[in-house]
Amino acid sequence: MSTLWLVIQREFVSNVLTSRFMIGIVVCLLSTAVAVFVQVDDYEKRLTGYNTAVREAETEAQTWELYSKIKPKAHRKPNPLGIFNVGTENFGANTVTVELGKPIFEFNFPIWAAPTQKRGSDNPFLAMFLTVDVIFIFKFVLSALAILFAYNTISGEREDGTLKLVLSNAIPRDTIVFGKYLGGMLSLFPIVLMSLIVALLIAFSSPVIAFDGNDILHIVAIFGVSLLYVSTWYLLGLVLSVWTRQAATTLILSMFIWVILTSVHSNVVAFAVEKFPPLPVKHEFTFFQPAAEVWEQFRKERDAYRKQRGYEDLQKSISWEPETILRLVNTSSMSGGYFIVESYEVTNVSKADTTIFQEILGYQEQLRVEAADKAEKILNKPAEERERNAKFADALSRISFADTYHFAVGTIAGTDRQRYNDFIESSRAYKREIVAYLKDKKAFSSRAWFSNDKGNAELTDLPVFQHRRLSISESLSRASMDILILLAWNIVLFMVAYVSFLRYDLS
Amino acid sequence: MVWHIARKEIYHNLMTLRFSLMIILLPILFMANALIYSLGGDGYTTQINAYNRHIEENRDYIKEQAGKGLAELALIGPGEILRHPTRLTFCADGTDQLIPRSVSMQNTGTASRSGYKEFEDYAWRAPWTLKYPLQNTGGADTQRIKIDWVFIGILMSFFAILFTFDAIAGERASGTLSLMMSNTVSRGQVLFGKYIGAFLTLMVPLMIGILMNLLVILISKNIPFESRDWLCILGMVGLFALHISIFIFLGLFFSSRVSNPITSLVWLLLTWVCLAFVFPSLLGTFVGNINPIPSVDEVSMQREAQLKQLGDEYHPFGRSGDIPSKLSKAASVEDPEATRLWATYLTKEMDTKTRFNDGHIDQQFRQVQLARDLTQISPIATFQYAMEGFANTGIVSYMNFVKQARRYRQTFVDFVKSEDQSDPESLHIYPVKEGLSQKKVNPDAVPVFEEHISYRSVLSQVGLLVLFSLLFFIMAQISFLKSDIKA
Repeated sequence: MSTLWLVIQREFVSNVLTSRFMIGIVVCLLSTAVAVFVQVDDYEKRLTGYNTAVREAETEAQTWELYSKIKPKAHRKPNPLGIFNVGTENFGANTVTVELGKPIFEFNFPIWAAPTQKRGSDNPFLAMFLTVDVIFIFKFVLSALAILFAYNTISGEREDGTLKLVLSNAIPRDTIVFGKYLGGMLSLFPIVLMSLIVALLIAFSSPVIAFDGNDILHIVAIFGVSLLYVSTWYLLGLVLSVWTRQAATTLILSMFIWVILTSVHSNVVAFAVEKFPPLPVKHEFTFFQPAAEVWEQFRKERDAYRKQRGYEDLQKSISWEPETILRLVNTSSMSGGYFIVESYEVTNVSKADTTIFQEILGYQEQLRVEAADKAEKILNKPAEERERNAKFADALSRISFADTYHFAVGTIAGTDRQRYNDFIESSRAYKREIVAYLKDKKAFSSRAWFSNDKGNAELTDLPVFQHRRLSISESLSRASMDILILLAWNIVLFMVAYVSFLRYDLS
Repeated sequence: MVWHIARKEIYHNLMTLRFSLMIILLPILFMANALIYSLGGDGYTTQINAYNRHIEENRDYIKEQAGKGLAELALIGPGEILRHPTRLTFCADGTDQLIPRSVSMQNTGTASRSGYKEFEDYAWRAPWTLKYPLQNTGGADTQRIKIDWVFIGILMSFFAILFTFDAIAGERASGTLSLMMSNTVSRGQVLFGKYIGAFLTLMVPLMIGILMNLLVILISKNIPFESRDWLCILGMVGLFALHISIFIFLGLFFSSRVSNPITSLVWLLLTWVCLAFVFPSLLGTFVGNINPIPSVDEVSMQREAQLKQLGDEYHPFGRSGDIPSKLSKAASVEDPEATRLWATYLTKEMDTKTRFNDGHIDQQFRQVQLARDLTQISPIATFQYAMEGFANTGIVSYMNFVKQARRYRQTFVDFVKSEDQSDPESLHIYPVKEGLSQKKVNPDAVPVFEEHISYRSVLSQVGLLVLFSLLFFIMAQISFLKSDIKA
């Protein structure tokens, strides 16, 4: 045990005393500090935008008097862990408006058109510079540092002639490999830790960022995965150092692999999949026709029901007092009819008997909601296909462990695509919740659906949108695949290094 | 003697592992680039077809509006103006997806009032303004490094480092440097020979790759080149040469400064990682914080406030309250006084809109320009911008386009005014329908937007690149002159 400790100590000291250790620390700390500074500022802007949007929605909700007029909104809350990995924080919809008669799909919620909520920088053109977050720095700089620490562990010592001297002592070879690995990791550990501490210090200095216990656990998990990632690179350097005879060759080879894995591979894959998608994605427009058919079906069923009830003309379903007017206010169907929204305005209704009219509405409005659901399923297909293509690209990218790491951190931080899709899904669930709530209150067939002469719609206990943050165990189980891949790389590379060094020919 | 050293250097390089790595990687990347850009979806063919279709439609549109008379054409505007798609996206992508492909110069909406006692019924059309589309804020796709020639150029700088880190330090360590210097050869010659050797080792495979790439693209026939494109490609090859030279000199500088080749490589790699990935991105994102501009929201709020103020002054829609409205009478040919009042109101409205639209996009442009200027301290970023300049992609090409669109805006208004002058029946009051000539316009006489590609912006970048290479050359030279020959 003491010899192992000796090897670790020696490796650690020899690393720490080099200029690359100092440069590594300076570069890592400085770039992390700048990146976090920028990201914290962006997060503050996002949060302000979110708070404004929520406030505005609350004010708007107080003006609702009729059940048919409600438009609850689902807001995506900015994720404080976005300062580590921005991911999807800066793109996609931030607010989904739930309208009972409309399907929720990508064309309908404002993805491109809504500048109402600030997303990070106010200048979209600045997006042409790659977003730098902590994980970007770790992915590029820390991995390069790990290689710079590892390349000369074996081949360098062999060149210097010290390897022979070390092996001439009574130290087993496995102790040397293990000691060198631990020593190297021990010298990388403070760099990762200090970078994270700097990141946290800057984050905490912001008045709006408050991490709760759950967040801290997530950050610890990110720290752990980052160490695993750095260790993978270190082991790769170690393996190459055993395989090659000269330190320079080791360094060239490992830096070449570094370039391929960090910047070439995933970009080529993603770009190729984007230009040659395995599943051809049909444009949204091609689905408008089938969606329009759903609405046609809805219209038929509705008309059939009215006919069956004997009120083809809706006017007649109200027993009229003088000067009562029923007006169909608004029929909107956009480009190929992906929704039909009608609302009824009845004037001078106070003395009219609207029981049958209410009954008919109770049937037809629920039917409309069902039709919207059906149309939604159809219209959502392109998004599903795109998602499947993206998943395919992701799977191919995972060949490079640099990307596996990126995915793992994105998943843990909750800023990956999956979480964004979750948000859209939960806004759909929210809509279902609202529909259930309205059904419960028999709102569809209530008088407050179209008129407030007998009191406004009772909306005090209208469900509020909630998008739960994931607990640490849920996050970890989602990221488990990626973490396992990283772990597997570590084990395999360590085994290879170990076996290769045991068979190492010193002569 | 220089040639002798260069040849020795080349022979040495050819035998190395890094050369084989480069020889494997370059063709793969060039082929991937050619295939993806020439055959992949939303390529040049798709874009040019859409563009031509749009030009056709726009011609018909102008013909239709011109047939309705000058006044109608003057107010509805010349339609939507598209950028010509560029053929050289495969050389420099320039975050193409992020850049809008058009600006709008039309106003199809009308406004009207009716049913007021003290107001005459009137329907009018506000004159068109130049509108800039909302930029695609992009998804994860835009945040990806594109496999274009620029990216290959960045990799070439990496290889330039690999070929030079031991050029001097290595020979010094093995003792051959003192042997070489014992001949009648100056240090300058040695350095130059080393430079030539590394340069040729890098340039020849690169040229072969470029030729292969162009050949595939030509065979696929999806991107038809014009003679100007060939000149641009030639210019890009020059940029490659400059870019590679810079990093060779940088490598020679570090190599002559330090005694151990490995130390020189470590330093070089760190420098390279910072120059290629860390600096440009960090500075680029940082500019948004050091030089903030008002958000879209704030600008549109100010704009609305100003428009409301204008509305309160003139009350075109008839909600006047106690104040007597200036626009109670409708504009008509018989009443030049009222028409002039309307013209004042509409001009003010148009100016307000234009001021805010132009002002905001100018602010955004200035911010991006600042970011670009700052990032140019990295020669890699400078190289990228110069490539984009030659390929006519990236934000600068959009800035040029916007500049020309603004010039065209003036041309169009001037045309309307001069046409109007030639009609004696007209009141010559712009921009009110009743104040302008109602005669039909010859659609062929309407000025058409023509885009001119400007390569002016490239000049400064090329100058900067030359400066960089001179600087690093001098640094390498001085450091080699001062260095010890023996280890």
